[in-house]
Amino acid sequence: MASEPDPDVAREAIEYCYEQGWTDGLPVVPVSQALLDQFLAQTGRSPDEVLWRMEHLGRECTVQTAAINAAMAGCLPEYFPIVLAAWDAVMRDRAAKGGGWQSTSGPAPLIVINGPIRGELGINSTGGNFAAGFRPNATIPRALGLMLRNAFGVVPHVFDQTTQGIPGRWAICFGENEEESPWEPLATEIGLEPGTNAVSCTLTRTYEFVDNRHTQNPEHLLNDFADTISRTGVMIFRAQSAGIVFCPEHAQMLADAGFSKPDVKDWLVEHCGRIEADLRRAGKDGVAEGGFGGRSASDEERVPGDTFTPFLPSRASVPIVVAGARNAAISMVFRVFGEWSNSSVEIEPAPVAAASSLDGRS
Amino acid sequence: MICSDAFRATGDAMAEIQGAPGYRYLTTPHPVAGLTPAQVRERAEAVAGEVARMLTGNDG
Repeated sequence: MASEPDPDVAREAIEYCYEQGWTDGLPVVPVSQALLDQFLAQTGRSPDEVLWRMEHLGRECTVQTAAINAAMAGCLPEYFPIVLAAWDAVMRDRAAKGGGWQSTSGPAPLIVINGPIRGELGINSTGGNFAAGFRPNATIPRALGLMLRNAFGVVPHVFDQTTQGIPGRWAICFGENEEESPWEPLATEIGLEPGTNAVSCTLTRTYEFVDNRHTQNPEHLLNDFADTISRTGVMIFRAQSAGIVFCPEHAQMLADAGFSKPDVKDWLVEHCGRIEADLRRAGKDGVAEGGFGGRSASDEERVPGDTFTPFLPSRASVPIVVAGARNAAISMVFRVFGEWSNSSVEIEPAPVAAASSLDGRS
Repeated sequence: MICSDAFRATGDAMAEIQGAPGYRYLTTPHPVAGLTPAQVRERAEAVAGEVARMLTGNDG
């Protein structure tokens, strides 16, 4: 029988990692070659394959570097295909390719997992999906944060120019609660076969709850979401993107009232926005219609004060997911940092030869 | 190059990673984003002399 691990030896290795500047402030798992090999055995991709290269920094991240950082983050080897898929998914996001990782906004990747892998790996999709307590939910997004830090050298106060950032920036990952959702899963909606293990990921700016246990009228509920989505503080450009992580209760109430997921999106596209007088009061009436442009307040009234500006251009700018417990009517609005790719990445199964690190543990 | 003075740390680090440590550039006080066009012109006038001196090498 193996002897108990020596805590002092473990701590010494952890402190060594701190001294190298490899951590995000929390302890990391020291990585041996043997552990690294277990991670690499979970993918058919070459260790030398470059996942991404940041040309302006002259730095790149290979599959092997990703594996080291996933291991340091506390992932099990079985999570590694999800880490790779999450990275590929977020890099479909135009903002992530365009320097978003270094933005003053300090955007957080939102990682949503679909498919049976949720149950197989114990990925939480129900109660506390934004909260702590589940290893894959906590370590998969942390792996992305460590990749950014250690592979690309994007560290705070230098290449990471975050002004304040988002609480839990490297901790937002959960399964969709497919079992209690009245609608088809996100990855299926986007085009993958039902039952596919898949990751959807985008950069996000903030999360705001909508607590509405007060009405049985679906339009009242949607108006409550529209009020949160339409606040002026989040507005940089007139066109923006906001999604909702519906709790099962809200989703089921809307579905029971006859709202499909596209119906909900269409309703929000039509109703989310502000009148010109509101924008002018907040100094944001000079904001350009699309893309970069005027940001400062206008001297002159550009259009009548009751002119309505819709904020959400299309269904594609309103991603909808269902997660959480069916115990209260509390949902979450999230802000997409740039433009969601509206796509999901299939999680590649591990090569047959890869032994599960969970085998023989019980 | 001209950037606002809040970005000095990143600018210096970027110069170093591009193989030009100590690269000289000019700054203007932060913030810039909310300035009116007239205020931007004032900023430009304030820094124009330094731009000329840097380009002509007459800045010591």
